[in-house]
Amino acid sequence: MEFLNLVLIFTTAFLVLRRPGRERLAFRLLVISTILMVFLFSVATRTGLLPGVNY
Amino acid sequence: MDQTSSAVPGAHQPLVRHDILFTVLALAILFLTIVPVGMAVFWLGFARGDSPCVMCWEQRIGMILISLVGLFVLRFGPKPKYIGMAVLIAAWGIFMGMRHTGMHAARDVGQGFSTEILGAHTYSWALFIYWVCVVVMGALLLMVRGEHLQTDPRTLRGIERLAGGAFLVVVGANIVQAFASTGPPPFMGQSDPVRFSFSPRHWTWSLEEWNPVRISLRGRWAVHKPDLVTVVSDPAVGPLVNLPPLTVKERKPLKLTLDGSPTDLAYDLATDQFLLTTAKGVYLTDGTLARVNRYTIIDPGFSVDVGRIAGTAFLDAGAVIAVGENKSYVILRPNDQASADSNFRFFLESRDRFDEISRSRFATVRARLLYIMSAAYDPASNAVYTVTVPNNRVKRLIVSRFDRRDLTLSEEYSPPLSPESGLTLGPNRALDELTVTGAAVADGQLFTLSAAYGTLLTIDLGLRQVVAAHAIPGLTRPTGIAIKGGELYIVDAAGMLTVVARPPAPYLLSRYRRTWGTASFGSK
Repeated sequence: MEFLNLVLIFTTAFLVLRRPGRERLAFRLLVISTILMVFLFSVATRTGLLPGVNY
Repeated sequence: MDQTSSAVPGAHQPLVRHDILFTVLALAILFLTIVPVGMAVFWLGFARGDSPCVMCWEQRIGMILISLVGLFVLRFGPKPKYIGMAVLIAAWGIFMGMRHTGMHAARDVGQGFSTEILGAHTYSWALFIYWVCVVVMGALLLMVRGEHLQTDPRTLRGIERLAGGAFLVVVGANIVQAFASTGPPPFMGQSDPVRFSFSPRHWTWSLEEWNPVRISLRGRWAVHKPDLVTVVSDPAVGPLVNLPPLTVKERKPLKLTLDGSPTDLAYDLATDQFLLTTAKGVYLTDGTLARVNRYTIIDPGFSVDVGRIAGTAFLDAGAVIAVGENKSYVILRPNDQASADSNFRFFLESRDRFDEISRSRFATVRARLLYIMSAAYDPASNAVYTVTVPNNRVKRLIVSRFDRRDLTLSEEYSPPLSPESGLTLGPNRALDELTVTGAAVADGQLFTLSAAYGTLLTIDLGLRQVVAAHAIPGLTRPTGIAIKGGELYIVDAAGMLTVVARPPAPYLLSRYRRTWGTASFGSK
């Protein structure tokens, strides 16, 4: 899944650098990548979502 | 303005700004892209074979996304939605850094996960880098002026194009590493990744992170505080079968005026006094538990959070110790000349009857993440003992010994049944089911009273084994035990006092019987 996310990021950066007219699409891809990052980290840490320290 | 920069296809009415804001931003993107992310993939990954774990991957991707937002700003200006995304990603990055670092932060010096860089492991650096990102973003925002808020794409200058190119190269390298290390969807990063290799024969793609597991906010730290309301007190259904009962000599309500329910009890033969605690109170009474000689109410939240006092014992030289459920403790010494003003910070009431000697915390290893509800002092070995109680996540009965001289952990064990004791556990039963709420030391033996199943265990401190066990019928939520002569004094949460005959000395004596064996008689 990290591979997929990095491909999305690469595509987004390409749009920003080479196709600035596609700003809206690029921003949507940025949001999707961010959500995917949050989702994957949450999946990986779902047995203890908060930092495992003393509160 | 420099109008010589090449226009970018798709850019409308390019607006070029020779502005320090974009120069600094481009440098920041270059730094973030090359130093943490680029070095991670080229140096740590390709050169040294390091593969990120699943959390490292997401932290790395978070840094990449912050750089990507920077590219958005270089191209389209500092629009509020980009600033918002950068702040959200950085905030999430700090959280990820805390979550990851929290797994290892309490380990011993030098220990950690994966590679160390400049004396700190990689996940520690992630937390720091995200913090730096927030600082840099704040500084850049201070430089934003109204003319920066344009609507048309900018034409990138040399250093800005360099930042973009470096970004594409580094992300491309990460794509290669991600494909090799984590694979295409639905495969994802691993908790313990295999060393990176360009050879497909060494690639391991895993779906382990998708396995169903219980979702929890705090994981193994979600430990409920001990509560005796639900314990079953009938010895007949306890883990040990056919326990001989002890004779109950007396049962009566305590006539003392206390600030709450009793939480523990101790007895001192030298002064013929009982020591009784409540959640916050420490009381010294006469030898019949009829009159309070002196008391104080501890401020449990001052400095070290003692929490609810659950164990107490007389120490050496007249000092007493009160231990909280959380293994934090306070040591007091009676003093008729104590200054009420000086003690204002320590005590809520009766501030001129004790001095506070020290307040700190017991650190444990096996007993970690387990609460305690008892404490005892052995003058022969000059040590304080605590015993754990089971909780919603872990059921273990751990005896911990702390040297009185430095109050540091000296020994921990789960006492097994002595083979010579004749004691038998029921099928699929364990001593870990017991909820020890009172403890006392005498004759080199630790007497532990369990509120669950009304069971008294006798643990030989030399053998570290349970050498005897008895049932005490009729107890309801007992919270403390003290030994006075040939009798056991037991208090419970309802304020009742039960006196039972002390069990006969086990026929089994410690093979390591110590010369101080009888010196502790009658003390706790």
